[in-house]
Amino acid sequence: MTPSDDILTVAGLNVAYGESKVLFDVSMTVRRNQVVACVGRNGAGKSTLLKTISGFLEPTSGTIDSDGESLVGRPAFAVAGMGIKYIPQDKKVFSDLTVQENLELGSYASQDYDWVPIFDYFPKLKVLLDRKAGYLSGGERQMLMVGRAILGRPKLLLVDEPTEGLAPSIVMHLRDVFKELAKKTALVIVEQNLPLVCAIADKIYALKEGRIMAELTEREQIKPEACEQYL
Amino acid sequence: MNVLRWWWGLVLAFALVALVRVFLPLPFANEIIIFSIYTMGCNYLLGRVGYISFGQPAYLAIGGYATSFYLFYFGTNPYVGILIGIAGGFVAALAIGALFVRLRGDYFALVNLALAVIIFYVMQKMLAGITHGDNGLWFLTNMASTPVLDLSRPDQFFIFAFLVAFALWAFYKYLDDSIFGALCLATKLNDDKVKFLGYSSFNIRLSAFVIANTTTALAGAMYAVYLGFVSPEITSPARAADPVVVTILGGVGTLYGPLVGAIVYTGMKDVLSKVFGNWELVIGFVLVFIMLAGERGIWGSLEPLFQKLILRVTGKAADQSGGGR
Repeated sequence: MTPSDDILTVAGLNVAYGESKVLFDVSMTVRRNQVVACVGRNGAGKSTLLKTISGFLEPTSGTIDSDGESLVGRPAFAVAGMGIKYIPQDKKVFSDLTVQENLELGSYASQDYDWVPIFDYFPKLKVLLDRKAGYLSGGERQMLMVGRAILGRPKLLLVDEPTEGLAPSIVMHLRDVFKELAKKTALVIVEQNLPLVCAIADKIYALKEGRIMAELTEREQIKPEACEQYL
Repeated sequence: MNVLRWWWGLVLAFALVALVRVFLPLPFANEIIIFSIYTMGCNYLLGRVGYISFGQPAYLAIGGYATSFYLFYFGTNPYVGILIGIAGGFVAALAIGALFVRLRGDYFALVNLALAVIIFYVMQKMLAGITHGDNGLWFLTNMASTPVLDLSRPDQFFIFAFLVAFALWAFYKYLDDSIFGALCLATKLNDDKVKFLGYSSFNIRLSAFVIANTTTALAGAMYAVYLGFVSPEITSPARAADPVVVTILGGVGTLYGPLVGAIVYTGMKDVLSKVFGNWELVIGFVLVFIMLAGERGIWGSLEPLFQKLILRVTGKAADQSGGGR
């Protein structure tokens, strides 16, 4: 693989909340159209990793590069403008705006008004366009957040625990959507649902107490039992 | 977009304002229009961006004094004076907002109150040589008669103020329906999510701040021309809560709340002051009662009922999602 196939390179990343260090020398790479999963127990630092890559947090040291450009020090909106979209763990949408208005905000930022792919992935959203987002169920909000994030054809999606608290049928649907999305965009998915990530991931990083414990790349390794031993 | 549907609300609202003029004295009508413009800026900041500001008198004064300096020292055309007042407000809001919108909540409210106190002191003491301190600047006789609408005449000033207010409300309605309006609301609801979508929430907040406080400066400029006079009293910290009270009274974040709030508040002051010596105490109790009775304010409480009535009259099914604004 040539270096230009890497859409994201993280090297020696250290992140702290005040005096409390959360990530220790984390390094990872993501190739174009690759699905990379980060697994680990609560408090392992998975969400912190995604927030740092997306520009919400600033590392104390280390590098984060995408297509030859450093992301460190860039504000979150600038990172999003580079085609790296973050879907946070909370399922908070702009509750007083309708589904349509939520999507319009995503469209205006990316200048992408083609909603056909969104409705292909999530047909239900077409029916819910006039509904205020605050009235959506958890699964519908997740669909809206993913749909809004894929506007502008991002090169990388950072998805934080997308299936948390959702019904099994929605989880299966999201799994299929991520599989389809991976044909066009790279994904970094933070998840505690090991069967889900093993079904879609090309590579898995196992985190424990802020450190990368293992990088699983071989098909034989990408199994829930193999992941568990590192957590 | 159905043009008629877009405009009918504005036309109806301002037809009612025109009715106020028919039935009530001219000074009352002029006061309501200018006060509602004054309140509109505060309403936009609080309702759309989530900023509560006790510093609106500062921007009122900036607009009022910019206009007054022109009309007292340099020129006689009140239209030019008003444009200068607007420009002064715009520049001040841009410079101040770049600092202030970095703050939120209590800190934002108080730093703006501090600004009102500073402006009061500057106009009353520091610049007394040119502002004439508490004596104020009198320039009614300086103002030239202007063609089409002579702003030195209160009846024609009303027509001017009415047209300005109509244009301003149309502008705010356009903002509400635009992406910018949605972004302002989104920033209020969840600032971080706006950034994750690729927007600079700072730029959104600053733009809203400039729009709102330029509107307030416009009100100050109009007050100055209407009265032919300005004094530091216009930025008195004692009056800092007025626009906030009227905003909440009318209905925070609603388009017509400032109009309704201004009519009710001005009306109450006018009526109660003729009956009670301590009319401000009575107004305080009345306001408490109104807030407790309908915490969405007068128009905020009436608007959903009004919309249901319109939907019933036009025969459309009720919008179950409650989408749109």
